[in-house]
Amino acid sequence: MGIFKKLGWYFRQEAKQYSLGVLFLSLVALVNLIPPKVIGSLVDAMDKRSLTSDRLLLWLALLLAAGVGQYVFRFGWRNAIWGGAAKLEKTLRTRLFWHFMKMDATFYQKHRTGDLMAHATNDLNAIQNVAGAGILTLFDSIITGGTTIIAMIFFVDWRLTSLAILPMPLLAVMARKLGMKLHAAFARSQAAFSRLNDKTQESVSGIKVIKTFGQEKEDTADFNQIVDKTITINKKVNFLDALFDPTTSLIMGLTYVITIVYGGYLVLNRQISIGQLVSFVSYVSALVWPMFAIGRLFNILERGNASYDRVNLLLQERSTILEASDAITTPAHGDLRFKVNKFSYPGDDHATLMNVHFTLPEGQTLGIVGRVGAGKSTIFKLLLREFDQYDGVIEFDGHDIRHYTLDALLDSIGYVPQDNFLFSTTVADNIRFSAFDKNQGQVEDAARESAVHNDILDFAEGYGTLVGERGVSLSGGQKQRLSIARAVITTPELLILDDSLSAVDAKTENEILTNLREQRADKTTIIAAQRLSSVMHANEILVLEDGHVIERGTHADLLANHGWYAEMWAKQELEQKIEGETLG
Amino acid sequence: MKRLMGYTRPYKKQFIGAIIAAGLLAAVNVLLPQVLQRYMDDYLSKMSATTAVIFAFGGLYAVGTVIKALFQFFQTFLFAMGAERGLEDVRRQLFKKLHSLGMRYFDQTPAGSIVSRVTNDTMTLTDFWNVILSVIVGLFSIISSFVTMYLLNAKIAMTVLAFLPVLLIAIWYYSHYSSKVYRHMREKLSELNTKLNESIEGIGIIQQFRQEKRIATEFEATNSEYLASRNAMIRTNSLLLSPIINLLYSLALVAVLWLFGLISLHSYVEAGVVYAFTTYTANFFNPMTNMMDSLSFFQDGVVAGSRIFRILDNTEYAPAQNPDASATIATGKIEFKHVSFAYDGVHEILHDISFVANPGETVALVGHTGSGKSSIINVMMRFYEFGTGQILIDDVDIHDYPIEELRAKLGLVLQDSFMFYGDVASNIRLFNTSITDEQVVAAAKFVQADRFIEKLPNQYHARVIEGGSQFSSGERQLLSFARTVVTNPKILVLDEATANIDTETESVIQEGLRRIRQGRTTIAIAHRLSTIKDANLILVLDAGRIIERGTHDELLAQQGRYYDMYRLQNGDVD
Repeated sequence: MGIFKKLGWYFRQEAKQYSLGVLFLSLVALVNLIPPKVIGSLVDAMDKRSLTSDRLLLWLALLLAAGVGQYVFRFGWRNAIWGGAAKLEKTLRTRLFWHFMKMDATFYQKHRTGDLMAHATNDLNAIQNVAGAGILTLFDSIITGGTTIIAMIFFVDWRLTSLAILPMPLLAVMARKLGMKLHAAFARSQAAFSRLNDKTQESVSGIKVIKTFGQEKEDTADFNQIVDKTITINKKVNFLDALFDPTTSLIMGLTYVITIVYGGYLVLNRQISIGQLVSFVSYVSALVWPMFAIGRLFNILERGNASYDRVNLLLQERSTILEASDAITTPAHGDLRFKVNKFSYPGDDHATLMNVHFTLPEGQTLGIVGRVGAGKSTIFKLLLREFDQYDGVIEFDGHDIRHYTLDALLDSIGYVPQDNFLFSTTVADNIRFSAFDKNQGQVEDAARESAVHNDILDFAEGYGTLVGERGVSLSGGQKQRLSIARAVITTPELLILDDSLSAVDAKTENEILTNLREQRADKTTIIAAQRLSSVMHANEILVLEDGHVIERGTHADLLANHGWYAEMWAKQELEQKIEGETLG
Repeated sequence: MKRLMGYTRPYKKQFIGAIIAAGLLAAVNVLLPQVLQRYMDDYLSKMSATTAVIFAFGGLYAVGTVIKALFQFFQTFLFAMGAERGLEDVRRQLFKKLHSLGMRYFDQTPAGSIVSRVTNDTMTLTDFWNVILSVIVGLFSIISSFVTMYLLNAKIAMTVLAFLPVLLIAIWYYSHYSSKVYRHMREKLSELNTKLNESIEGIGIIQQFRQEKRIATEFEATNSEYLASRNAMIRTNSLLLSPIINLLYSLALVAVLWLFGLISLHSYVEAGVVYAFTTYTANFFNPMTNMMDSLSFFQDGVVAGSRIFRILDNTEYAPAQNPDASATIATGKIEFKHVSFAYDGVHEILHDISFVANPGETVALVGHTGSGKSSIINVMMRFYEFGTGQILIDDVDIHDYPIEELRAKLGLVLQDSFMFYGDVASNIRLFNTSITDEQVVAAAKFVQADRFIEKLPNQYHARVIEGGSQFSSGERQLLSFARTVVTNPKILVLDEATANIDTETESVIQEGLRRIRQGRTTIAIAHRLSTIKDANLILVLDAGRIIERGTHDELLAQQGRYYDMYRLQNGDVD
């Protein structure tokens, strides 16, 4: 029941709707008492041959009114309660979404997309169930159950009632126990389904490998095995599910037998009339659902409670990236000074960056090279304020970047990440993602600068082509170039290319770099790359290894240095040397 | 529709069993109120019941209930299992069919939609079969109740029947209207979840470009649309589903009691008959809610079914070999003779490609993206059927080799090294159980993948998670080399990885490549020209044509396209 308290804020907020819902539910419960009573009374009147046409009309008018009343009241509570539940789900989903928008990289490191999706779908569903089915079952079992039992006692006989409802709590117990088992079995069935889904996904994605090795038959056999397992698991689910109705019948059967035996005895002893017995049987069947509801209620509340706690825990997490109250709001520009003595990712002892210091004057270009995992992307993550907890300082125009508002800082930076995430909207909207007010001309300029304009014109609907599953599938190089266009459209003060040219060929790379040099002559640029030709024109190049700067200087300096850079350059150029050509 | 039902045929027994149980259940449901009716009219009204009679009726009712429970169980369980097995059969067939389709199908169809056909759409079929069950159960219940009522009092029974047309109209209207509302709601939900998923995955981009507000506003709009569609569904169900059936039941009850009342004004009416009639009237209307509820799935089932059939009827099969193909590859000579190819049959991707790779030689393919390098590999691997020309292996037409022979003797190393669920060893051996653990280890050693594998916990039995994301792309590349080496192919087809391998892993990879090429005819796509300088023949491709050919030295001497590419790649451009 604690969950009702936890959701109290919502019920108070929607007090009108819920009061109305409960009022309608109560009215349905009351009106429901009428038909069995009418039937019983009519049966008695007929049995005693005392029925008059006036009385008949009266009873039937009452019955008709009850029928119409039921229709109206049922419509009323359904709208109020189911509608309330739907609204709660929406409210929580909005809250969760805003929270996701505000959370930092630490949060996303901890929670994977699939888990967050599960919270936003399954958990919210369990919670809305409390506000819908939970409220319904609670009031239904109390009001309908209570009024029916009272009617049985008043209109029929208290002894018969107390005996006949003896087996009924079993219904509640059964609904709860079987419900729990079924829930657990269903969870296993869901897991089996995901496994089947993953297997299919894997086979479709890896279709080329399977075809290459001629393993179509073996793969199909493997799939069939998983299908067999799924069937076994689902058999259990179907078995438990098939038990519900029969168990209900058996328990109800017991009640009916008691009614037949003891009710018959009472009729014979003229304690109750035969019409009362007919009423009684009708009331008994009206009790099935409320009893069932009690058992279900516990399961609904239990699940809803667990889900609510999970969602709340998620909502309580706070971003570690905070804006100072007196933060600088003027867009950052100027010299960049990076002076990080030590940085480790949260929950990792290993220092990812150690004594990485550099100053990048406005308008210059910095190159960063080094092996995968050397710490190149980490530098950018700190610059972008994905993490704030480092030892050292990063300054933009003489101010700590943590003293800027996020808007002031990030609006000045155009970042092209390693994984080129694009949204499933049009090509044009992907390019103007950061500046939705840019017109078609500006979008095309950005695309030309990134050497992707001609590719886009080749798409079926040009700039209006959808990206992703429902639209065009892009090559890695096209994705990279679109990401670059997205970053350069605002001509940011600082452009960061994080290994963003790896999938484009040398000719296109050269074209893009030349464009950038022309268009961004007075702007600052940082390029991280595997291919040394991407950074050879930079004003300074840093060579990173295991979080340390092991070499630095211009291309010429580094070659003269005969260190890692020179060695890599030599390796890449080995063949050329054989031809006797000199390097650029 | 007929075809959808066809899949239930192998499980006829279960389905027929379920239907028989449903029929018997309907009979028991008719008989139980009869027990009560007889009891009331023959014994209670007449005050003639003895204790023995009372207990006899109690016992009779108890036995009836037990039988009813059994039938209920069998009806539900048998039908559910029949549906389950039928559904899994459709899945198996779909999966098998997918493996017979050519690469063209997979290129043109997004992976997500194929997966959804195999898993989700088949699931919808279960709902479809359930519609059939609920209709059958409903009909049994309606007919049996009506027949019994007719036997008790024909005139009053006909009055109840008069409500049927109204009911049918309600059912038709509901299923017609609600399936639209329901589909709209589902669409909105899937739109909502897609947006949510994408926003989580793209959170880095959203935050970096400060678009949180815009994205949240867009999401809120979809969220509100979903709420509106859900409220429409709630209203539809409240207006038209169970409340309306209940209303009609009440009206029928009024009519029944009115008629009994009229009779009783001038003659005797037995209490039990009235009781039985009210119960049967309830039985007559009760199954309707269920039927109407499930009918909204009918349309979904038909739609899902037609999507499934589109795959099952697809004829874009993988290229076929000659029916009596039986040649074997001995030396591994490859010859392309004037080969042309178009993916869509219209726009040619390869024009008049001719070259010879003698046994043990290496032929390298270079050129820009889209120049046709991959297409040469695709037609040679028989992923696609080429148009004109001829491909010969050991001077025998490629069509004359059984596909198994080609798969066994042609080893393709793919650019993106796909990793499967399982462990390291199973990723090297794949499903080929004839490969021993020793062979797996030897293959890994051969390409020097053993260095990193042996550092893993559990080494060769280390679990591969999420497509091998724990390995660097260089390591994955080495694993895929081992995968090829272990099958010991005669001919090697290499699609060199382009990016994201640091130079040190690169040298291990180059060494691995050098080793596996030894003694094998090799066709290689190279992005780094430096790696192929010892090739026996280099083909420079542009727009599907060979524009230059020769050895590395010859091509450099020509100072043509290859020469430019080579200089460009080495940064020697300014």
